[in-house]
Amino acid sequence: MDPFQYQRAASTDQAVAAVAQNPDATFIAGGTSHVDLMKEDVHQPTLLVDVSALPLQQITPFESGLRIGAGVSNTVAAYYPAIQQRYTAVSEALLAGASVQIRNVASMAGNPLQRTRCPYFRDSTQACNKREPGSGCAAIGGYNHVHALFGASPACIATHPSDLAVALAALDAQVQTSGPNGPRTLAFPELHRLPGDTPHLDTVLAHGELITSIDLPAFAGRSHYLKVRERASYAYALVSCAVALEMDGPTIRRARIALGSVAHKPWRLPKIEAMLAGQKPAEKLFRAAADAAFANAKPLKHNAYKIPMGRNLVVRALLETSGLRPLQGPAGTAFAASVGGMGGELVAPR
Amino acid sequence: MEQPLVQALQTGDLAPDGVLPDGSWLSALRGQPVILAFAPDEWNPTQAHQSALFARLSQEFGGGAAFVDTATEDWHSLDCRSTLAAQFGVDGQRALFLLDEHGVVRWKTVVPPGQDLRPGQVLAALEALSPSPAAAGNGAVVSGGLSRRTFVTATLAAAALLLLPSCDGSSPDSNAAETAAAAESTGTLPVVLTINGHSHRLQLDPRVALLDALRENLHLTGTKKGCDHGQCGACTVHLDGHSALSCLTLAVMSQGKNITTIEGLAQGDELHPVQAAFLQHDAFQCGYCTPGQIMAATALLQDPHTPTGSAVELREAMSGNLCRCAAYPNIIAAIQAVQRA
Repeated sequence: MDPFQYQRAASTDQAVAAVAQNPDATFIAGGTSHVDLMKEDVHQPTLLVDVSALPLQQITPFESGLRIGAGVSNTVAAYYPAIQQRYTAVSEALLAGASVQIRNVASMAGNPLQRTRCPYFRDSTQACNKREPGSGCAAIGGYNHVHALFGASPACIATHPSDLAVALAALDAQVQTSGPNGPRTLAFPELHRLPGDTPHLDTVLAHGELITSIDLPAFAGRSHYLKVRERASYAYALVSCAVALEMDGPTIRRARIALGSVAHKPWRLPKIEAMLAGQKPAEKLFRAAADAAFANAKPLKHNAYKIPMGRNLVVRALLETSGLRPLQGPAGTAFAASVGGMGGELVAPR
Repeated sequence: MEQPLVQALQTGDLAPDGVLPDGSWLSALRGQPVILAFAPDEWNPTQAHQSALFARLSQEFGGGAAFVDTATEDWHSLDCRSTLAAQFGVDGQRALFLLDEHGVVRWKTVVPPGQDLRPGQVLAALEALSPSPAAAGNGAVVSGGLSRRTFVTATLAAAALLLLPSCDGSSPDSNAAETAAAAESTGTLPVVLTINGHSHRLQLDPRVALLDALRENLHLTGTKKGCDHGQCGACTVHLDGHSALSCLTLAVMSQGKNITTIEGLAQGDELHPVQAAFLQHDAFQCGYCTPGQIMAATALLQDPHTPTGSAVELREAMSGNLCRCAAYPNIIAAIQAVQRA
C-alpha cells in the first residue's frame, strides 16, 4: 500500500473541498472494499478523507418515502422495519450480500460504489482498462465466466457487483449528492454508467462529489430480490434479479425489473416492464418476458450459462413477487433472496 | 506535514449532533447553553492536581473555589480523539466549544499540540461570554436551565483544561515545530485506541490496519491474520459491540470506538460462556480460526436483529467465518448450547 495522508472530515462541505482540490484524494466511509483495494495496489490515493463520522447516519421519512443517510450501515438499513416491510428487495439484497461483519461496517453509499469483482481488475500484473486506462483488457480473451452479457465495450466487459444497487435501480431510488458544484439529485438508474471507452469511470459522480443520502420514493407494491451464487452464502452473484410490482386488483399496473451481475451497471429492462404492464400475472407471460429479456444478450466464451440461468431467475422472481409461488424464506431476509443453499434448507431443515 | 484541510467548526455554525459519553445525544441538551471541552484526560475540577489551575483562574475572574461543585453538573468532558471530537473538527487537540441554546457555536478555542494558552487570553474570551447585564446576577438563569454562576464556573474550569497537556502527550511547553517535523519525517499520526476497556496511545502510519496495530504494536495476538482481505473472518473483533473485520479497518479510523478482542471476553479466569462452550463441544481442530469464530458468535448472541433461532440461520449468520478444519457442526452446536443455557 502506498503512503497516504488521513483526515477526518468535520462537515460534508469540508470533505467535498478536501477531495475536490486533490486529484489523488478519495473519500472513505466503512472502508470494507476500499482498504482491500488499497492493499491490492488497485487504489492508490494520496489523501483519504474519512466521512464516517459525518452526521449522515439517520433514516427519516421523506416525501412519503424514506431518506437513508449515506453513512447508515448496511446492517441498520437491512433491519430497519420500514425498509424490511415496504422495500423488501432492499433488505433482501443487503442481507444476501457480504457477511455480518462487513454489513455492520459498510455504508449505504459505499455499497453501490464498490468496484467490480473482475479478477483481472484486482490483479495488478494483468492488463485492465478500468484499473489502468489504455492498458487493455485481459478478461476479453481470458476466463470471463463472471463477465457481462449486456452493454460491454471492446475496452471492458466487467460487471457491477453490488446487490443493493440492483434493488435500488428497480425501485427508482434517488441519490442526493454534494459536490464541488453544489448539491444535485440523481435518479439511481443514472448513477452508474456503461464502460464505453472510459471504463475507469464507474459512475457519473464528479471527483469530490459525495453521496449524502439515498432516497426511496413512495412505493405501495411488492418487491423482491433473488440471487444465484456459486456457494450458499457470502459470495457475489452470478446473476441476480430485483422485481418491483404494483397491482391494480388482479392486474399488474407497473412492473420494474433490474438484473445484477450481467452488465457494468444494474440492468433495467424497460421493454419487458412495458410488456408486463396491464397484464395478469401468469407463468406463461413471465416466461415470455424472460425470453425477451435475454434476446439481445451477447455471451462471451465462458459466460453463456448466465442466459438460461438469468431467464429462469427472472421467471422465478416474477412468480414469487406476484405471489404465484411462495418465497423460499421469510420476506426481507437472505433466505428469501438466496437461490439454493440456505434458502432451500430453511424450508426443509435437515 | 501539510496543514490539515479539515477545519474545526466556526463560530456561527450549527454544531453537529453526536453522542456524549453518558450515551445521551447532544441535541437533547438544546434549550440551554452547552460547554464541550475536548481533552486527553477526564477533567474534574474537584481533583487536587487540577484544582491549582482552576483556583488561579477562578481567582483572577473574581469567582471562588465554592463554585466548583456546581460547575461539575453541566460539565461535558470529552476525549479529544472521540467520534464527537472528529465531528467538531477537533483532531487530538485541546478544544473548547460553547453552544448556545439553539445549538449554534458561539465561541470556540482550539489549542494546537505543543502550544500554550495564556490565562489572559482565556479571561478576555470569558468576559466576552458573560451573560448580558439584564440576565446577570448570581443565580440568574441564562437562556434557560443554566445559572450564571454555573455558567461562569464551568467555563472557567474548561479554560483551565486548555492548559493541560495535549492529546498527543506533548507538554504545553514542548517545541511545536519539532513535533511537526517528527511527524512529517515518519508520516505517522498519534492514534488512541480503546481496547478491552483500556486506552492505548500509539504513533501509527495511517496505512496500519487495526489487525496489525493489535498484533504488532500492542502484542494482542489473539486476533488472527488469515487472508488479510476480508474473506475468512479470522480477524473478527467487536467495534462498539458489533462484529467487524480488523483487517479491513484502518486503526486510525477505529478511534473513539470501543474495541473488544478475544483477550477481552473472559472475566479473569472465568471464560466467556461461548469460549467454554467451544471447549466443551470441541468446536475447533487447529484453532486458528477460533478467536474469530468466537468473536462473531458472541456478537451474534447479543444482536437483537440477526435471526439465529435455527441451525440454518446460525450458519447463514456465521458465513463470514471460514474453518479449514471444517469444525462447523461443532461450532454450531457450541453456539446453540449457549443459546439454550
